[in-house]
Amino acid sequence: MFDQGAEAHRRQGPSRLSVVPGTESATAEALLHRAALGEDDAFAALYDLVSARVYGLCLRVVRDPAQAEEVAQEVFVEVWRTATRFDERRGSATAWITTIAHRRAVDRVRSAQAAGERERRAAAASAVPEYDQAAEAAAGRLEHRQVRRCLKTLTELQRQAITLAYYGGHTYRQVATLLETAVPTVKSRIRDGLVKLRDCLEVAR
Amino acid sequence: MSADVHTLIGAWALDAVDDQERRLIEAHLDECASCAQEAAELREAVARLSDVTVADPPARLRGRVLAEVRRTRQAAPAATEPEPEPPQQTAPPRPRRARLAFRPPRLRLALGAAAIAVVAAFAGVVATWALLHQQAVPSEADRIAAVLEAADAEVAQAEPDGGGQVTVISSASLDEAVVVIADLASPGADRSYQVWMVDDAGQVSAGVMDAGDSSATMLIEDVGDTDLIGVTEEPAGGSDTPTLPLIAGVPLDA
Repeated sequence: MFDQGAEAHRRQGPSRLSVVPGTESATAEALLHRAALGEDDAFAALYDLVSARVYGLCLRVVRDPAQAEEVAQEVFVEVWRTATRFDERRGSATAWITTIAHRRAVDRVRSAQAAGERERRAAAASAVPEYDQAAEAAAGRLEHRQVRRCLKTLTELQRQAITLAYYGGHTYRQVATLLETAVPTVKSRIRDGLVKLRDCLEVAR
Repeated sequence: MSADVHTLIGAWALDAVDDQERRLIEAHLDECASCAQEAAELREAVARLSDVTVADPPARLRGRVLAEVRRTRQAAPAATEPEPEPPQQTAPPRPRRARLAFRPPRLRLALGAAAIAVVAAFAGVVATWALLHQQAVPSEADRIAAVLEAADAEVAQAEPDGGGQVTVISSASLDEAVVVIADLASPGADRSYQVWMVDDAGQVSAGVMDAGDSSATMLIEDVGDTDLIGVTEEPAGGSDTPTLPLIAGVPLDA
């Protein structure tokens, strides 16, 4: 049936399927190696490949778009500066870049906390992972669904501890306070949960 | 100690540790290949958590980043992996040094927050991935980093009753140690914390912190056969002999 309504509906479907899972990381390594040789255009291509990942993570952790933009810029300059030291044997380019981004974002949040600019209560609320617009932008990507599915295989405490720490930028001690759970328990739940997450993600690949 | 550090690998992979814990864990990972492997795998899994937060940045960011990159010099590549060190037993025995009462202080104080930030930065993301070898004459910061990253780095820690921590990272091969003193109780404006190197022949001052300071990072040379790094509270400027009791004592492995 050439139903106009259905046709119109279909056009509104996900339009962001540009990244094919699996090619992203391989390309990122190649681009990072070329960037390490000083090739601006390779770095620009790398930016295009991972900027949504870097900015989105910074935004989730620091919450403020203006600050997230600043942090993301710092991240990319650090990636450029230290591309010469990336070692593929130690992990993927995506993980390397994401690690830098998360660390920078967390540093920003913690220095703000130290300066008393951030209310603990607000931080706690912000850390609860709502799969909001940012996540919606990534809907349709296989990896997205896979991570959500794997997060669901964790126990409630494992999942909460990991998401509070990662998306909320809290230390495990702060997580223990927020969850009113003993510190050693949180420490071991985080590790057990990550091991489970690792296994789940690997199995699915 | 190391079992305790090991359970922190998950929290470390999430950046959910403080700077001091990060140093302890990364020193541990340097010594334990299987732990480093697990840590790398967890980091990969953690990176996937960013799959669900993807969001397009404002278009202007691209131009800003590329403009800044054009005027940013890239870091020198890391040195290639060193050959494995020969077993410790083959090293010639070090002559035992005589302890002299008036030995000049051999330690430079790297004072205050700036120095701690340097240590933190060196122990940070970049240092996880690569050793930093840049200058022919290593700066103090480089030497501190070298101790933190030494393959034989041993980490020991004490938590004084009054709060804070004293952490000692020592490397027998470098014969140096880094003492990180963090957040001790304020000694008051006219008192100083003093660091001592203690062995069975007695003790020598390793350095005196500025009056009133409760945090410092120090590089100690000629660690030798030191059994214990001790911290005492003294009148401003330090004393010739320690005023007991020790605020903190950190035993070093022989």
